[in-house]
Amino acid sequence: MDVAGVNEILEKFQGVKGNLIGILHEVQNRYSYLPEEELRYISKRTQIPITQIYSIVNFYNRFSLEPKGKNVISVCLGTACHVKGAGKVMDALREKLNIDIGESTDDMNFSLEEVRCIGACSLAPAVVVNEETYGQVKPKQVSTILKQHESSENG
Amino acid sequence: MATLVNLTINGREIQAPEGMTVLEAAKNEGIFIPTLCHHEALEPEGTCRLCIVEVSGAIRHSIRVSCIQEVKEGLIVETETKRIRRDRRLIIELLLGRSPYSKELLDLAGKCGVATSRFRTGEEDDCVRCGRCVRVCRDKIGAYALCWVNRGYDRKVTTDFERLSEYCIGCGSCAQVCPTGAIRIEDRGDERKIYTWGQVIARFKLEKCTECGRPFAPKKYLDRINERAYKTKGLELVDYICPECVKNKERPSPVNVPFGGGAMPFVV
Repeated sequence: MDVAGVNEILEKFQGVKGNLIGILHEVQNRYSYLPEEELRYISKRTQIPITQIYSIVNFYNRFSLEPKGKNVISVCLGTACHVKGAGKVMDALREKLNIDIGESTDDMNFSLEEVRCIGACSLAPAVVVNEETYGQVKPKQVSTILKQHESSENG
Repeated sequence: MATLVNLTINGREIQAPEGMTVLEAAKNEGIFIPTLCHHEALEPEGTCRLCIVEVSGAIRHSIRVSCIQEVKEGLIVETETKRIRRDRRLIIELLLGRSPYSKELLDLAGKCGVATSRFRTGEEDDCVRCGRCVRVCRDKIGAYALCWVNRGYDRKVTTDFERLSEYCIGCGSCAQVCPTGAIRIEDRGDERKIYTWGQVIARFKLEKCTECGRPFAPKKYLDRINERAYKTKGLELVDYICPECVKNKERPSPVNVPFGGGAMPFVV
């Protein structure tokens, strides 16, 4: 376990009320997920029972207890995107990556997630890869999008 | 003594102390309001929604959960209006969709005139998600062994990382307060197991009674009693005597157990 790393984050939030969510966000940003050992350590240091932390981690979609791929693909399945055919885009991604929603590819390059409305309805159907948003995505464009991130990975 | 307020429940004018909930006030008057998640020893959470009543007068005419709504001067409460009965039946039907075989729920359904549920979930268990177990473990025992995970349909009670709990002390309070028996405690030989539906959440070796030699309580539980009830008084729990032996010896319990003692009454 990376004690120093977690300590650094904990120090930042020392004395801040309602700091747990902030801590969890930072830990997740650093490791791409929330490892059990780290969570238990946070529980010990903050005196927040591990059951409460576990409950919170489970409650929010944003938090993950499983390692995520280097590139996280979020397909918006909100109302507007759904109507504009986000389901087909999702199907294309599933087929292309050969994984299901919530899973990661074996090489840990991609993770696939569904989200409910990212507030970009005018761009429906929208797909977000990492921080980059793609609008009016057609199932055909899926491989191009994937390639962009694959290559950026290698380069 | 708190100040008394005047209110009306089902046309009956009554007085109740300020801060009391409508449910308690109704109960004192012998008016039955169905409940599942309510427990006298626990803070109300209003999760089951069965205790809904129609209120007006002192507050906006609306439907409220009587286990949380406090009495107010001039409050008019109706517990059996057409609207309440209809909504309550729907709530029971929804609960039955998840727990169609729960005896307690079926009893309540009978009382409220629900014969069958229109809802089917495919995934069935006796847990009605009332949260009594989580509340007792957290607020009364202070063990924090149980928690909620997930949301909506996938919501359930479990332990941290859904494994055998390291924090459970085996007191059995969760099983005792469970309204439907979804959490069970089982003592077999010198082992105690605590189950939720489909998951063993904790397992303990039972300590033997110093008098009769019968295994009766887990070490962690006895340690907790020692810590909370004895050490604070400068005493030490030395003998482990099971409830049966204590009864026979007519030795009164020296400790006043606030709650949770019922599952496994401990006395020395």
